[in-house]
Amino acid sequence: MRNVLNKKRRVIQIFTIWWGQLTKTNVGRRIFELIFLIIVFLFFIPFLGTHRATDFAIFCIMVLSFDLLYGYMGRLSMGHLLYLGVGAYATGLSLRYLTSNPLLAIVFGVLAACVVGMAAGSIAIRATGACFALINLAFNRVGWFLVMSPLKAITGGENGLSVRNLSFSFFNFRNPNFRFWFVLISLIFVFFFLRVITSSSFGVLLRSIKEDEKRVRFLGYNTYYYKWINFIISASVAGFAGALTALNYGYINPNVLDVNANSGVIFACLIGGPGCLYGSIVGGIIYMLITNLLPIYFQRWELLLGVSLLLIVFRFRKGIWGGLESLFNRIAARENSDPPLEKGVSK
Amino acid sequence: MIYAIMYGLTIGAVLYLISIGLSLTFGTMRVINFAHTITYTIGAYILAASVNDFGIPFLWGGILAVLIAASVGYCIERFIIRRLYGESLDYTFIATFAVFLIGVDIVKWVWGVYPKPLSDPIGKSIDFLGFVFPVYRIFVILLAILVFFGLELFIRKSMVGKIIRAALDNKEGVRCLGIRVEKYFSIAFVLGSALAAVGGVLYAPITAVHPYMGLNVLLLCFAVVLTGGMGNLRGTFFASFILGMLISITGRFWPAGSEIVVFIAMAVVLFFRPIDI
Repeated sequence: MRNVLNKKRRVIQIFTIWWGQLTKTNVGRRIFELIFLIIVFLFFIPFLGTHRATDFAIFCIMVLSFDLLYGYMGRLSMGHLLYLGVGAYATGLSLRYLTSNPLLAIVFGVLAACVVGMAAGSIAIRATGACFALINLAFNRVGWFLVMSPLKAITGGENGLSVRNLSFSFFNFRNPNFRFWFVLISLIFVFFFLRVITSSSFGVLLRSIKEDEKRVRFLGYNTYYYKWINFIISASVAGFAGALTALNYGYINPNVLDVNANSGVIFACLIGGPGCLYGSIVGGIIYMLITNLLPIYFQRWELLLGVSLLLIVFRFRKGIWGGLESLFNRIAARENSDPPLEKGVSK
Repeated sequence: MIYAIMYGLTIGAVLYLISIGLSLTFGTMRVINFAHTITYTIGAYILAASVNDFGIPFLWGGILAVLIAASVGYCIERFIIRRLYGESLDYTFIATFAVFLIGVDIVKWVWGVYPKPLSDPIGKSIDFLGFVFPVYRIFVILLAILVFFGLELFIRKSMVGKIIRAALDNKEGVRCLGIRVEKYFSIAFVLGSALAAVGGVLYAPITAVHPYMGLNVLLLCFAVVLTGGMGNLRGTFFASFILGMLISITGRFWPAGSEIVVFIAMAVVLFFRPIDI
């Protein structure tokens, strides 16, 4: 009996050591992340079909960009979908009027989101907390409105906009498999890009702004500037997600920047665990699973979403990934504090 | 043009009634209440149901709606917001947003998603210098001004109002005097919810009643509160009437732009006078 117990403990010990090795050494960690991401999304294909899996990956990019703003800098934005919409419309319009190259169109989309982020960010970043969220919400509303009526002639208003010129030499966005691999590689690229940013000294600065902005300013940093830069990066990544959305559907309608849909992104970020890149991917996948599968069985899913948001706020602030992490840490701490006598018995 | 001004005054009156509660709750509790306009929606729906389905007269239906909405507001305060005092603003924001989602879904569950029509309860209009004004709208404007003076009197003269005003200024100081601040917060919250429901009841015959009506108004109310200054009751009054005029006058010359002009005004105000919370 004791032997079995020890064996079990041994397995756990090996596992925690392995986990520690993987998360401590940089190379092992990166390879692990790469394999983890690819396997997770490949796993979805037989379940949901390629198109759905692509959708999941795009949503994960969106959640990652939101997490950079909320999880790392502590600024909750209620209007982040504006940048997704700007990216999508800029891509669609540039494919229609400017160029026939989808890759160039993606660059245009990201640039447009970046420029809009610069303009809106210079106002929004002055506020903090709820004020920041509301200003973003207002901007999102203005953007939605602009698409719906004053710019109706070029955006198509409520009817939406169909995207032309989807294929260029061997970048054929009509092929679902190509789309899937392109989006997956973009997701991995964005993931590593954000990993580099968040683990650099810039990322440390962002986290310290989240903790206490006054002290950071006291240390001599111009926090306004850093917040602005981070806002622009986040907006550009969201614009990238928007560009991919446009290419994935081949059609854009104003719902991509619907104000109400922001709650989905916030929910995904919270459920996965804010302030952690894995967390946002886990949260994005779980949120998409809920919204894709639940309405089939249960009509009042908005109610359920509200109740689970309340539960998260009152009970599980760290989200799923945060919970898993603290579980691992607890196991590792218990292993380390084991009395040495028992280890001798096992040998 | 006269009609545009009249319409602007009506919108300003309704906006004032709704956003005063938001301003109060923000000022006292430091809680941005996203669930605020759920009482507005519920008030309008109960009015519509009682007038259309049960044949209750408008006045009694309105009073019933305000009472029920106030009790809903008390429940929200008691079970959600009271647990979140002193937490970071983000969490209160998300929690009240969750309440908003739940409320909208319950409204959809009970009454369905289609808009409900309601007719003008007075139906008469008066002739003044050749212009025809509906009596109902004049009544709405007068009521808002009455509420403004009543609230001023309540806040400045009565003991409860004085405590709320002191708590707006310095919560800890009031608590040190041995006053249970939470009780007065709860009174302010219920008052705000009831006034929002009054706004919903009054605005329902002018616009259509639908589940997402709260969200549109909420954005306008946030704009009003941000431009008027959070927790500043007189500022809220003037901001709501100014923004209401702005909406209707823009709507006259450029109908499509009437909604965004409010947000542009808000952005301009915030640009020159950033709020630090």
